[in-house]
Amino acid sequence: MNCEHARLLIGADPRSSSPELAAHLDSCPACTQLREEMLAFETRIEKALQQPPDLARVKPRRAAPQWREWALAASVLLGMAALLGVWLLRPSDTLARDLVSHVQHEPDSWLAAQQVSAQGIGAALHGAGVALDVDSDKITYAQSCWFHGHYVPHLVVQTAQGPATVLILRHEQVPGARSFHEAGLNGVIVPAAAGRGSIAVLAHGGGVEAVAREMQQDVRWLPEPP
Amino acid sequence: MRIIARGLAANAMRNPEPDSPVLSIGGRPPGADPGAPITRLFESLRPDLLRFAHWLARDRALAEDIVQESLLRAWRYRDALKDPAAARPWLLTIVRREHARMYERKRLELVPLEDVADSCADPRAADTEDDLFVLRHGIMRLPLEYREPLVLQVLGGFSTEEIAQELKLSSTAVLTRLFRARNKLRVLCGMGGVAEVAEAQAGAP
Repeated sequence: MNCEHARLLIGADPRSSSPELAAHLDSCPACTQLREEMLAFETRIEKALQQPPDLARVKPRRAAPQWREWALAASVLLGMAALLGVWLLRPSDTLARDLVSHVQHEPDSWLAAQQVSAQGIGAALHGAGVALDVDSDKITYAQSCWFHGHYVPHLVVQTAQGPATVLILRHEQVPGARSFHEAGLNGVIVPAAAGRGSIAVLAHGGGVEAVAREMQQDVRWLPEPP
Repeated sequence: MRIIARGLAANAMRNPEPDSPVLSIGGRPPGADPGAPITRLFESLRPDLLRFAHWLARDRALAEDIVQESLLRAWRYRDALKDPAAARPWLLTIVRREHARMYERKRLELVPLEDVADSCADPRAADTEDDLFVLRHGIMRLPLEYREPLVLQVLGGFSTEEIAQELKLSSTAVLTRLFRARNKLRVLCGMGGVAEVAEAQAGAP
């Protein structure tokens, strides 16, 4: 018997004994050492087999680290904050988009060159309960348009940088001035100086802030029509 | 046979037919005689059978089903048990075959080993209890082809030839599987494997 065969027998059955194996072990310290090792291991195997694993003890669910709980809580809060932010911003974003859309649906307003009469301006403003202290020769378009459930004055004012659309939004509140750029239009929405409502100015060029500032000074609210 | 069946009365099988010991698992029915010798014999071996089935099936509930079916079968063929001293290996063989039959009858839901056993993380540093814990789960992790002959040999007390006969393998193939089973356990437990060259000589099945 050689060492390879002896190791196979020892590994397969450490307690086995045969004259051939015994003879080999007498002359092979390495295999003898392996057998002693395997016999010790066999005792452990026998002891282990006496009791199948207690499944209830197996794989204890480790408590999640505290940092993980905090991270989870932070994620939830962050998500809620993001949702809140989106919700808070939603009116303004929607307002800007709707303003652009409204202007795009009245492309003729940009083409008007003749100034609108004071009577025509008055008609556009009156329905919305707005009065405007502005030189009438700058206004080339004045309509009362249905926007967000109300009639609002839609004006086009001629400036040094080209025509600018002004919509006076008595029922739209904004916390502060906000600029936007969409579909090739520059725009700004500012709170009206009268303390409520807002004014939106849109133009293909610049200067919308200057027009908005001027309009803030000029707009006055009249008693709201019934 | 390394493990001899526990001592039994020589006239145990000469008693009149006892009640089925299977029924004792779920509660003894009225009229059952718990004192009947074969009932006592089967009942005394039940923990061994359950442990054996548990190692094979790797699931306690499944093991109980297997043992129940096995005892029913044993009860049905109890006349084949001529020598009560051979009851233990006889019943263990029935359990093994019942386990194999269950796998043949239906595709059993395998117990996910990840749920059964954690890896042998640094077993060398473990104390005795943890060492056994690791070893138990190492055995559970063994594929059935290695686990079955090992359990038959160590727990059932079957010789290599008996295992070969039961598993319908050659003795050399059984030796190889037993060698590989222990070798895998050694590796799992951080002891290092016995040189694989010995396997080559025997030739894998």
